[in-house]
Amino acid sequence: MDQDTDLKLAIYRHTAETTRPPSAEEMASATGRDSHEIREGYQRLFANRVLVLEGDGETIRMAPPFSGVETQHRVQVAGKQYFANCAWDALAIPAALHSDGEIRSRCEQTLEPLQLLVRGGRVLGDECVVHYAVPAALWWDDIVYT
Amino acid sequence: MLFFRSEENVEAWCLERGLPKRPVVTLEQQWRLALAWYGDRLSPEAHRPKPAEMRRIFAEIGLEGPFWDPESDAF
Repeated sequence: MDQDTDLKLAIYRHTAETTRPPSAEEMASATGRDSHEIREGYQRLFANRVLVLEGDGETIRMAPPFSGVETQHRVQVAGKQYFANCAWDALAIPAALHSDGEIRSRCEQTLEPLQLLVRGGRVLGDECVVHYAVPAALWWDDIVYT
Repeated sequence: MLFFRSEENVEAWCLERGLPKRPVVTLEQQWRLALAWYGDRLSPEAHRPKPAEMRRIFAEIGLEGPFWDPESDAF
């Protein structure tokens, strides 16, 4: 396994375990590499559209489907609460964790709460749809807006 | 990618912001997309889909055309 794949897996395992993406220092400690090396790895993963970094170039804003900041999309899986980046990612967290889950979000027009349940590989709950405002070719022009 | 209770709510939201209404995906389609895209995310083999794979994943759940084509400029 190459070093970036190893780092990516360590990031995702940390996030799945703790609900938040790790700092460079946490990954340095987990992988036995120095934090400068980890920051360079973060930059390569960002360039490859695996991570989204904050402006400081080293804080993980998104390790899709997980969010590094609080959002309106809260996902409960196995007693842990995660934040998702968008509607797609809200459903993707139980999918990535291969687990049942509960999603609490909202209708963006009415701000009415929405609750969805993932149970046994199926999704149930409030009637809703997902609107895609940005064409696929432009998603990464501004991935936070997308 | 945002949740709405109905297509009518999508239309109202777009109108208020002067944005065009774009595709609306059902909950079932969205769940299938989540499974296809992220189901292996925590495995060593996970990779971001290449454009051809993206088109195939979208097409399999009924999402086709330039909007869903990551290499299109005709949306």
